[in-house]
Amino acid sequence: MKRRNLLAGAAALSAAPLAAPRAQKPVTIRWWYHFDDPKATPDELVAAFEKANPDIKIQAENIPWGGGGDYDTRLYTSLIAGNGPDTGMVKFNNLARLMEMEALRPLDKWVDGWAGKSDISADLWRLHTAPDGKRYYMPLQYVVLYLYVRLDLLAKAGLKAPTNFDDFLSTAKAMTGGEQWGFGMRGGSGGHDSWMPFVFGTGAKPVKGGFVSPQALAQNRYFIDLYRTHKVCPPSAPTDSFLQIVNNLKASRTAMAVHHISTANDMHATFGDAITAIPVPRGPGGTGWATFGDGSNAVFAASKNPEAAWKWVSWLSEGPNNVLYNKAAGQMTVTNSGAANWTLHQRRFVDATVQSLPIASILPNVSATADFTRTVWPQNTQKALLGEIGPDDMMRTFEKLFFG
Amino acid sequence: MRRWATPWLFLAPALLVTALIVLLPVLNALWLSLHDVVLFRPRLRPFTGLANYVLALTDPVFWESLRHSLVWVVSAVSLQFTLGFTGALLLNRAFAWRSIARALIVVPWALPSVIIGLIWTWMLDFNLGVLNVLGVRLGLLSASIPWLAQLDTAMAGVLLAIAWQGFPFFAITLLAGLQAIPDEHYEAAEIDGAGIFQQFWHITVPGLAEVIVTSLLLRMIWVANSLDLILVMTGGGPGTATQTLPLHAFLTAWSGGNYGQGAALAVILTLLLLGVVVLMLWRRRET
Repeated sequence: MKRRNLLAGAAALSAAPLAAPRAQKPVTIRWWYHFDDPKATPDELVAAFEKANPDIKIQAENIPWGGGGDYDTRLYTSLIAGNGPDTGMVKFNNLARLMEMEALRPLDKWVDGWAGKSDISADLWRLHTAPDGKRYYMPLQYVVLYLYVRLDLLAKAGLKAPTNFDDFLSTAKAMTGGEQWGFGMRGGSGGHDSWMPFVFGTGAKPVKGGFVSPQALAQNRYFIDLYRTHKVCPPSAPTDSFLQIVNNLKASRTAMAVHHISTANDMHATFGDAITAIPVPRGPGGTGWATFGDGSNAVFAASKNPEAAWKWVSWLSEGPNNVLYNKAAGQMTVTNSGAANWTLHQRRFVDATVQSLPIASILPNVSATADFTRTVWPQNTQKALLGEIGPDDMMRTFEKLFFG
Repeated sequence: MRRWATPWLFLAPALLVTALIVLLPVLNALWLSLHDVVLFRPRLRPFTGLANYVLALTDPVFWESLRHSLVWVVSAVSLQFTLGFTGALLLNRAFAWRSIARALIVVPWALPSVIIGLIWTWMLDFNLGVLNVLGVRLGLLSASIPWLAQLDTAMAGVLLAIAWQGFPFFAITLLAGLQAIPDEHYEAAEIDGAGIFQQFWHITVPGLAEVIVTSLLLRMIWVANSLDLILVMTGGGPGTATQTLPLHAFLTAWSGGNYGQGAALAVILTLLLLGVVVLMLWRRRET
């Protein structure tokens, strides 16, 4: 008996470590992000997620943007070196390259079983579908480029906000004089986004032959002539970038500029109701192009904890969490429930964004897109603006880059 | 045998480190330049022989960048040398607060290139730049000039920045050389009736010849390789108006992800620089 007790005791002791509830080490998920506002942080979001998911720890890493190029190259090199994050923010212009690298994990299985799927509009899901029909990107934030208009300056000249390209030109001419110009053109980094509404605004499309179609060529000549012939843009326009177009508008040196909702609060704080936003000008018959500015999350194929990474990215895209996220990012929520009670921006800027959604479009999801946005567009557009090449030469270069 | 091996054993750690941090990257660049290495196609790295070199040499952008590089190096080094030499001659003379002036002149040299690039970008800015504001207020300019957005002024704007950054190097180096020339030479020349310009030409210049050649050679190599200032100020634009060869190589590799092509451009630049250096050293030996 004694012996049996001893054996039982020994067995119990040896089994004790197995039977005792082990405190499981939380899984760490590395998430790469970038916010336009350098003071914004995702700390509040991370704390809320970790409280709800104690088994997952989020390591949020702020990666320098550098116009997008630096972020992308850092992402590619880290993924190739095997030191990439589990998940991170991505843009459409590098989807093709990330697919080519086989760096993305398809999200379809998770998305289809996700409760928040119906809270994101069909338009957004359509835009977030890759050329192979799969979904690799999870909608997180979005903007649609619109036209800022200084209503007070236009009213002085007895003008209304322009809705088509003829009105746009006459308004820009009327607003130009002395140290003021009608249109803050962005010829520098990132300017392709505000160029596309002009070139594809009358029906041309960025498909094979599209860049050299009669509509696209005519519209591109119109765009270049705004600077060269009509001189309705500041002389520095060929290299002006985000800071210059925003500061010129805020300093009343320009009367109109193309940007998006991330600067709406700044504009409202500067001018109050004297500034508004309207959809970009459209061509005859209502044809138009509003550049869709995406911001998504991807789960990378090399992640050792994809389920946990998906938990984080899907949590960020849920109604109230996505609103909280966009409070830091300064962009629009991707959820219908969040948009219904949106208070982070003045209604007129939200309306201009939403009204532009039906014509919101993106460049082709091909490998050349990254090259186009980073170097080919600014180099050739600047050359055309400064008369080194003709506007049609510029379009032929783009056609060749995309379609050979 | 042991006596023969001893110096090599002492040199071995230094040789090993040099091989690791110099030779290995050079060999890697050579390997990359002979392969089609594209960042976003990590599994495909086929051997392409000299294709990257042929592509580089047949690309009009290469020749345009090479032409810009020549303008960049010759103008920048000439400006820096002229300003630096003048500075050195002034700092070699006795005047009040000379030690403070000698310390202050080093400031541009000590600042990081990125900071200098940002300072000059804003100084030359069309809308807010201090140079435009001063120029207009003093009546020197009829209107603001977009210095960095025009084809004919962008390179001048960037050259202004690198001249300001690099002249202290010549000033300090040549000042050290000036102080090594014995005063007796000038005193003897003065007694013989030599004027200031004769003293400068027959004593100062020959006395500084070694320092001038070495500093010019070093600075030429640094300027030819430098891309940070241009990258920050113009990114090579407008268009490709300020794109030099190293910047072309950098943009091809870093922005375009084409490391094979970028490496070929870098190898070509290295060979060109080596050629110039060997030529200069050979000429110096001849004279």
